[in-house]
Amino acid sequence: MLYRRIFQFLIVYIFGILFLLIIKFIFSLSDYVIPNILLIIETAAQVFKEYFFDVINTLSVTILGQCISICMAFFVGISGRKSSWIGSFIKVTAYNIQAYPIVALAPIIFILIGDGFISRLLIASMICYFPLLLSVLGIMATPVKDIEHFYIITGQMKWHLEVKIRIFENLSKLTTVISGSATLAMAGTIVAEFIAANAGIGYSIRIALYQSNLAKILIALFLIGIIISVYQGILEVIGEQIKSKWSISKKGTIL
Amino acid sequence: MHLKCKNLNFLYPDSKSAVINNLSFSMKNPGFNAIFGPSGVGKTSLAKIIVNKNNCFNENIITKNINIILYSYNLERLPGWLNLGKHINKVISPEKLHLKKTLIKIFELNNVLDSRFSNLSMGQQNRINLIRYLLQDFDVLIMDESLANVDEKLKGTIILAIKELFPDKMFLYISHNLMEVSKFCHKILVLGNPSQNKPCFIINGQNYKKKCFLDKKKLNITMLEIMNAL
Repeated sequence: MLYRRIFQFLIVYIFGILFLLIIKFIFSLSDYVIPNILLIIETAAQVFKEYFFDVINTLSVTILGQCISICMAFFVGISGRKSSWIGSFIKVTAYNIQAYPIVALAPIIFILIGDGFISRLLIASMICYFPLLLSVLGIMATPVKDIEHFYIITGQMKWHLEVKIRIFENLSKLTTVISGSATLAMAGTIVAEFIAANAGIGYSIRIALYQSNLAKILIALFLIGIIISVYQGILEVIGEQIKSKWSISKKGTIL
Repeated sequence: MHLKCKNLNFLYPDSKSAVINNLSFSMKNPGFNAIFGPSGVGKTSLAKIIVNKNNCFNENIITKNINIILYSYNLERLPGWLNLGKHINKVISPEKLHLKKTLIKIFELNNVLDSRFSNLSMGQQNRINLIRYLLQDFDVLIMDESLANVDEKLKGTIILAIKELFPDKMFLYISHNLMEVSKFCHKILVLGNPSQNKPCFIINGQNYKKKCFLDKKKLNITMLEIMNAL
């Protein structure tokens, strides 16, 4: 799964580079607009180490932001799962707020908190929080009737058992959503860094943009893509491990 | 113990014709009774109404000496994170452990207690589901196709064992099997199709018990009565 993700990214990246090179040749563009392969390799040798640590810096904020958003999404999802007044209120509020683009709120966060770690973390967690919340709310608010019936009718249903049943029955969906939200968290962090931070790969991309250095941007994109693929792959592997451990069963053997 | 239904009408919100139309019947004393009828006549709806009588049907469903009514059906599942043995132990009180052992032996489920629910056949799934209901406190247990996909011989053994082990409980057995219902049940509520204006009847079944003689002629008459009532 991990190798497949990296392989898929490499294919997309190579196609992207080829596309740029084709445009360069068709319109006879200079290296200043679209760099040639040699220039890209030369730039990679210069900035690879620096950009790698920048991506790791961004990734650390991404992971933290994602953890915060997962906790928040589960807290609100579990609180809003009931069809009571408060449950409906939480659901409607969540649906309405998520319609507002968080990136548009980013400048307010920077004005209030200033550029730095907290602003990046806040924007990263907010960007991946709402899609995550909608999935978690959907899963938590949908009863698994054929399992829950027994506990309800015999009076043995507790809130944590209800949550456990719904999580267990939707484990694949949750794993996919959490792994997918990693991309959103990364995008959120990079956007935050791009707007006004003073560290991370988004900040480096902004500097490269001011220098009109496409080679640097391509190297940054390569590192972001590779590292997010590895991170997502690891999340999927962890999800698979949890699934197989939790629902381990004795399979029959063919004699 | 008395379960009485008086002038019950039931219509689904998105439907024009009533599923249950002016239904009245009465079932007294513990025992194995049945609700019988073709698909779509409202057997499951009636079962759910009886279970949820306190919500909207307090005036139509009247009970005496009945406190707990449970409803089990054949599509239920057990959670997948525990094996069957551990799951059953978690949902029963310690004093029922001996009864659990007895039931597992009769239901022929000894070999699958270490397995997960998803690894069982459909018949085994229905049997383990029924066991966990039988191990709860109840006065009336509605068994909606709870023994579907179980072979006829084992089904007979299970029904006879339930009658023997739970003599003071009332069972409402919902099935499409005419022979089974006629043979094992005491009172059989035959639901006619309300769209054809067919009335409902209570027919006496053979109420066959262990070590009792089964009069095949009477059994045939019961089956004919049910067929005529439909």
